[in-house]
Amino acid sequence: MNHVIEASKISLGYRNDEPVITDGDMRINSQDFAFITGKSGSGKSTLLKSLYGEIALRQGELSVCGISMNAPAGAKLNTLRRYIGIVFQDYRLINEWTVEKNVMLPLLIGGFSKSVCVQQAQKLLKHVKLLHKADRHPLELSGGEQQRVAMARALAHNPVLLLADEPTGNLDEYSSDVIWSLLKSAREHLGTTIVVVTHRIPTTMGSNYKHFFLESGVLYEVS
Amino acid sequence: MKSLKNHFSVIFPLIVLLFSFQFTRGLEVIVAEYETRITNEYSIIVVASKTLEEADIARSVPSLKAMEEVSPSVILDRLKGDISTQNLSLLQLSLPKFYNLKLSSFPSAKALSKIKSDLERMDFISRVETFAKTYDTIYRILVIAKSMAYVFMGLIGVISLLLMLKQMRIWVLEHKERMDIMTLFGAPFWMKSAVLYRLAVVDSFLATCFVVALFYVMPSVPEIASAAAAIDVIIPAIEPLKEGGTLLGISLFFALVSVSMVMLKVKRETP
Repeated sequence: MNHVIEASKISLGYRNDEPVITDGDMRINSQDFAFITGKSGSGKSTLLKSLYGEIALRQGELSVCGISMNAPAGAKLNTLRRYIGIVFQDYRLINEWTVEKNVMLPLLIGGFSKSVCVQQAQKLLKHVKLLHKADRHPLELSGGEQQRVAMARALAHNPVLLLADEPTGNLDEYSSDVIWSLLKSAREHLGTTIVVVTHRIPTTMGSNYKHFFLESGVLYEVS
Repeated sequence: MKSLKNHFSVIFPLIVLLFSFQFTRGLEVIVAEYETRITNEYSIIVVASKTLEEADIARSVPSLKAMEEVSPSVILDRLKGDISTQNLSLLQLSLPKFYNLKLSSFPSAKALSKIKSDLERMDFISRVETFAKTYDTIYRILVIAKSMAYVFMGLIGVISLLLMLKQMRIWVLEHKERMDIMTLFGAPFWMKSAVLYRLAVVDSFLATCFVVALFYVMPSVPEIASAAAAIDVIIPAIEPLKEGGTLLGISLFFALVSVSMVMLKVKRETP
């Protein structure tokens, strides 16, 4: 089986503080849709950050897209990040850039021509129903709209893996539906592996997903 | 307004740096010109009891360029009315030989003193007049001014670099959020810092244009030109393309080094 994410006995924490996660195993295969749930402060976001190298691993083994995250640095980390798409809880859009340019970011980093970037950005903005706001700046949009832009940006370069941190946490029903349908579509049509950190798994997901739970610093799969 | 202030915080130290560099270069040219002029005008007078050969003098004075005998006829002509022709002929016979020595370069005070003592040691030479004090004073002032300009330029360079580094840190803070987001999407170093490099290039270009324009106009300002003429100095005009290119190179070097130093620090601190 081709594991996109493989974690074994991992320990994670911030600087010299006590570890947030003391033990965890996780295996996510290509095209899986996985949820990570747990109480507030249980370390869900910390775990997600370790998957794209924002937090270093303390112990154990972790590989993402075949790249070991035990001591990733420089070019290796940059390469990994170009394979993945990230949706942050606080959106993290570049406020000085237009919505369209924000969506183009991963493509610009990937070295695509401007015409390709614009075409792809417009296609995704149409999917998230924000094409009419392509020339606006993020601060001119509502929270739900900003999250949809962030989702479009995360999918712009057809990533192998998409990591989303509470993508519908503060959204209205309409925006939430748009986000979930986009995630499902990315998995079905692009073969993207999806990992979502959330408090609640939407009922529309059915049963075709993996579920990992974090409790008292221990990560385990819910069968 | 804030953006203008940010640009000015880089442009100002660059202008000061380029001004001090160009000022020092100008001073170098003035000193070199003055050196050539006083070398051409300068001569040593030697009084000898017999005819001297140029080759003999050249052995003691390697920088000798030319030697010519000074005819005493001008002085004797003045005395024609006061003394008899016979006495005048006797005086002419008893007069020593006067020589004017031209040098290929203007010697330092120490070298001049050595030339004088070497000449005085020679047989038949009774007197050597170097007129050292007259020429040496202004020359020394210019050399001191040139040395001070070098020290001044060095200090300005260090202070400018520190000021620019400080401004670059402010730029980095302003662009930090954007750079952090780009880092999370795997942007290479050059792409994250492209904006800062672009700002540095634009500011270098603006600072260079200002300094070139200043030095282009300065020699033709009547007050400055007349002040320079009063001390017998010609302010050299700047060559916009050649010297402007050098100035642009210097400002680019300083601005880009500042950006790189700050960005490399950011790179080390970013996960």
